[in-house]
Amino acid sequence: MTEPFISDLNPVPAATPALPAHHRRWLLWLVAAQVLFVLGVAVAGYATAALGRTITLQTEPVDPRDLLYGDHLRLRYQISELPGSLWRGAKQPRRKDAAYVLLEPQPTSADNYAAVGIYPEAPATTGQQVVLRGSVQDVWRRGLRLRYGLERYYVPETMTRQLRHRRRLRVQVSIAPWGQARITQVDTLGVVR
Amino acid sequence: MSRKVLETDGPQWVRRGVITEAQREQLLALYPSEANAIGLLPLLGSLLVLLSALSVVAANWQSLPELLRLGLLLATLVAAYAGGEYFRRRGNTSLGMGLVALGLVVFGASIVLTSQLYQLIGYDLTGLLAWAVAGMGLTWLYRSRLLFLLTVVISGIVQGYNTGQLGAFSYLTAAGTALGLGLYWWRRPDALLGGVLAGGLLWQAALLINHLHVKITWFFIPAMLVYALGDWQADRPAGRALQGPPLAAAFLFTLGLALFGESDFYAGQLRAPLVPYLAALTAVLALSLVGKQRRGRLGGATDWLLLLPGFYFTGGLPLAIATLVVLYAYSGSVLLRAHQEQNPDRVTLGTVLFVLTTAVAYFKLTWGYFDKSLFFLLGGLLLLGLSWWLQRRAARTLAAANAASASAASAAPKP
Repeated sequence: MTEPFISDLNPVPAATPALPAHHRRWLLWLVAAQVLFVLGVAVAGYATAALGRTITLQTEPVDPRDLLYGDHLRLRYQISELPGSLWRGAKQPRRKDAAYVLLEPQPTSADNYAAVGIYPEAPATTGQQVVLRGSVQDVWRRGLRLRYGLERYYVPETMTRQLRHRRRLRVQVSIAPWGQARITQVDTLGVVR
Repeated sequence: MSRKVLETDGPQWVRRGVITEAQREQLLALYPSEANAIGLLPLLGSLLVLLSALSVVAANWQSLPELLRLGLLLATLVAAYAGGEYFRRRGNTSLGMGLVALGLVVFGASIVLTSQLYQLIGYDLTGLLAWAVAGMGLTWLYRSRLLFLLTVVISGIVQGYNTGQLGAFSYLTAAGTALGLGLYWWRRPDALLGGVLAGGLLWQAALLINHLHVKITWFFIPAMLVYALGDWQADRPAGRALQGPPLAAAFLFTLGLALFGESDFYAGQLRAPLVPYLAALTAVLALSLVGKQRRGRLGGATDWLLLLPGFYFTGGLPLAIATLVVLYAYSGSVLLRAHQEQNPDRVTLGTVLFVLTTAVAYFKLTWGYFDKSLFFLLGGLLLLGLSWWLQRRAARTLAAANAASASAASAAPKP
C-alpha cells in the first residue's frame, strides 16, 4: 500500500527533497560555471572590440523589409561572393571548407578593405593586411560564396528609423588577434533606388 | 486507488459489508487529502506579477544599457536556481524542480541574448553546446526526469540551430547526448525517458544524414544502434521503449516507400551503396542479436524483418512488392508473437499494422486495374473480413489468457 503514493507521472520520483552536501557543492559550481560562461561571452565581445583591428566593409544594399519580420538585418558583403581566381589552395574548394580571406585596404579609400586571396589555411600577413575567417557556402564555375558569421546584425532602435529604403551600409568589423570577429558599428550610406 | 474513489464509493462498500466503517476510516487515513488547492492562489498571483515584470523588460529590452541587460539575465539565472533549491529544501519538490528547469532555460536564453548584444554570431558551436552540457550536469545532479526530458529537447534544438543556422553539425553535442543521457538512462532505466531519448537521438541522426548529404537509408545504421542498445538493457519495459522510435521510423519509411514509390526528387538520394550498407547493418544486427541472446529474448529478433533492404529493388512494381513483403513479414511476425505470448496490447498493435499494410497493398496493387466503385467495394469487404478474422483470433487469445490466469489463481494457495 505504500507504492501508490508515488504516481508514475510524478516528474521526480527518484529525487530526494534535499541534495546531499557534496551535491550541493557541485550545484554551486555548476551555477557559477553558467554565470561565468555568460560573462565570458560578454568579455569576448568587449575584448574583440578593444584589442582587435578595425576594418570597414561595404555591403550590398540592405532590404529594410527584413526588419518587419525580426530584429536583425541579413547583410551581404561585397566579399561574400568572390571570384574563384582568388582561391590559393592546392585542391578545389568544396562546400563547408574553411576559408581564410586575406584583406587589404583599397588604394582608392584607405579604410575600405577588399579581398586579395582566399586560403584553405591561415596565411601570413604583412603591414596593413588582415585575415577574416569564413567558410565556403557554395561553389560554382567562376566563383565562391562565403560566410563569415557576420551576416546578421541585430539592429539597435536608433537605426530602425533610418532604414526606410534600400541602402548600402558601411560596416565596421573588429577582428581580434585570436581570429574572432564582431560588428562594432554600422553606418548608412546613400539610398539605392 | 485515490482518495476520491474511497470518498465516493466507500459508504457503499460499508453498506454491502465489504469493509467495516472503521476499516473505511483507516483506508481514508492512508490517503491524506492534499492541501494544494489553497497554495495555488499565491502561486498564480506571483506568476502574474512575474509576467508583468517580464513584459516590461521585454518591451524596453533594446533601449536598456548593455550592462543592465547582462545584469538582469544573470540575476534571473541565479534567482531561478536559488529559488529552486529553497523550495526543494522546504519539501516543495515539484515547484523547486520547475524553478531549476526555468534556470536552465534562462541559461540558454542568456547565451543567445548576450551573443546578440555583442553581435557575436560566429561559427561558435561551443556557445550552445554549453547549454546542453549544463542540462546534462543538472540531470545527473538532481536525478530528475523533468531535467532529463528538457535536456533531450535542448540538445535537439542546439543541433537543429547548428545545422540550420550555422551550417555545421556539432559532433560533441551528439556524442554528449548519446553518452551523457544514454548512460543516465542505462543506470536508471525508465520507459518514458527511453522513448524520448531515442526520439531525440533519431532527430540528431536525421540532421546528420541531411547535413552530410549522404543517402538517406544510412539513417538506419545509427537508428538501429539505438535499437541494439535497448537489447542490452536489463530492464525490459525501458529497453522496449527505447526500441519504439527506431522501429516506428523504419515502419513509416517502408510504408511511405510502398505507398509513394520512388519519385524523381529523392530517387538519387535513397539507396546507400549495397555492400557497405549491408556490412554495417549486419554488424549492428550481430550486436543486437548478442544482446538479445544474453537477455534471453531471441524471439524479439523478428523486429529485424523490418530492416530487410527491400528498397534496393528499383522501378514501380518491384519496389512496391518488395516493400510490401517487408511490411507483411514484420506485421505478421508481430501478430504471431502477440498470439503466442497472449499479450492483448501487442495483439492490438499487430492488428493495426497488419490492416494498415493490407490497405496499402490493396491500394497500391489494384488501383490501376479495377473500376473505381469495384475497387472501393472489394477493398472495404477485404478490410472488414480481415478485421473480423483478426478480432476473432484476438478474442480467442484473450479468452485463453484469462482462462490460464484464472486456473493459475485458483491453483495458488489461499493466503
